[in-house]
Amino acid sequence: MREGRNWGGSALVLPALVLVAAFLLAPLALILRYSFDKYDPVKLMLGVFSPGNYMLAVADPFYQNVLSTTAYIATLSTVIVMLLAFPVAYYISRVESQRLRGWLIILTMLPLLLGNAVRSAAWMIVMGTKGVANSVMLGVGLIEEPIKILYTPTAVVIALVSVLLPFAIITLQSVMDSIPTSLEEAGQSLGHSPLRTVFGVVLPLAMPGVVAAAAISFALAMNAYATPVLIGGPTIKMMGPAVYDQIAKANNWPFGSTLACILMLATLLLTVLSTRFLSRKYF
Amino acid sequence: MGGLSLGRLAFLALVVAIFAFVIAPLLTIVWVSFFSEKILAFPPTGYTISWYARASEIADFANGFLMSVKVGLCATVASLAIGVPAALAIERFPFPGRETIRQVLLSPMYVPAIVAGAAVYIYFIELEILTTFQLAATFSGLVIAHTLVALPWTLRLVCASLVSANTVSEEAARSLGANALQTFLYVTLPIIRPGMIAAAMFSFIASFSDLEKSLFLVGPGKTTLPIAILNYLEWSLDPTIAAVATVQILIIGTALIVSDRFVKLGKVF
Repeated sequence: MREGRNWGGSALVLPALVLVAAFLLAPLALILRYSFDKYDPVKLMLGVFSPGNYMLAVADPFYQNVLSTTAYIATLSTVIVMLLAFPVAYYISRVESQRLRGWLIILTMLPLLLGNAVRSAAWMIVMGTKGVANSVMLGVGLIEEPIKILYTPTAVVIALVSVLLPFAIITLQSVMDSIPTSLEEAGQSLGHSPLRTVFGVVLPLAMPGVVAAAAISFALAMNAYATPVLIGGPTIKMMGPAVYDQIAKANNWPFGSTLACILMLATLLLTVLSTRFLSRKYF
Repeated sequence: MGGLSLGRLAFLALVVAIFAFVIAPLLTIVWVSFFSEKILAFPPTGYTISWYARASEIADFANGFLMSVKVGLCATVASLAIGVPAALAIERFPFPGRETIRQVLLSPMYVPAIVAGAAVYIYFIELEILTTFQLAATFSGLVIAHTLVALPWTLRLVCASLVSANTVSEEAARSLGANALQTFLYVTLPIIRPGMIAAAMFSFIASFSDLEKSLFLVGPGKTTLPIAILNYLEWSLDPTIAAVATVQILIIGTALIVSDRFVKLGKVF
């Protein structure tokens, strides 16, 4: 398999490449162009080229609020996710039984693969005024009357954390797998407590994974659609639903494209950041 | 790691609690699907399985389910048809720039779903204006979008099995006079078959559960199951929707466990 052959073989990527180019890259290029256009109620688009939409997105109080709500919820969710994902990923990567490890991975992946519609439905049932959480808290006398959980920022954060956890766990765990256990044993044999070993040995070595997992979590939280719509309700406005509203409901393609491009740019930056830290495989 | 110290017990309890946090809502929705009362109240007054029959009678769910299965199957076949050759080219023919190509082919996984959905929708409409060929709100349009959802999964899992399979037997076949096609069909294909089955499963799951990319592309009578669930949830929350969700959990759970039989997920991830 030398030179000439390689080119013949490489032609096998063409169909996939054409599909991605024609139905992902070209559409993205199109909305990038439209993001600089101007909306007109009659003609829909004027065919001009101006940064006006971007100015509006950062200057208009409504969209400032959308941006800050999105940033706030995404940051809070990411911090909580990292705190929860670390112990779980550590446990999975250090568990001795391969069977148990397999089941834990399946258990981690299942919610991820169910999709946002089913997951949101489940959280709505748990967090509703007459939901399980309220019934349980009333039952044990923790609260006097039902509290409002659903349709609050807290509810969105709780639901988002459960959405992001699988991604963070899988990313962290794949990095921790590559840290030899002998290093921890060395730490312990020097008389360090397990906790100190984790913070002194595992955490510094897993740092690339921590950065990557946090970047992925933040990007996913920022782009969330179903969770803010169903769990947050109409009063909590985030970027994902705003893109949908502008393009599908208001027919304002230029401004919708601008919001989409802002999300795309932020995600791209985070992805580059995370891949710089993480050279390894899956997420 | 030594015996069960207090610290270790606390650590185990923490891990169990975090898993419970993710899994408990799903168990709750399965539980609710058997409640006898339409208005949710905990604990329930009684149990029934009639909501499953109810759910299947609601046209949006029945048609959405069929649509999701059809789109999922087409997208899976399409993504294998283009993904397996691409994986083969990337792992077996080290052409220049292949890492870039790999990243481009994986990019559908990194582009935010809502952004990709919006972009493809606008693109389809513009294409229709140019060529009068309609893709938005059609079956073909959904299949194209879902093939892109599935492609990164196919590529990753097939690449992973190509990497872990050593090339010795392929080289042996070649040196014994088999041509490239014969080598692929009789040597490589059997080796990567488990990876391909897992790829098919994951591609189907990724398509079946997709919500954000389909959001813009569905139309009247052309709705997928997750969109039907989303629309229903905006108006009501009852055991019927819990039954629909339970069916989806069962299908995806089964597909996941079946894939694990072919490719040990504990080793892939």
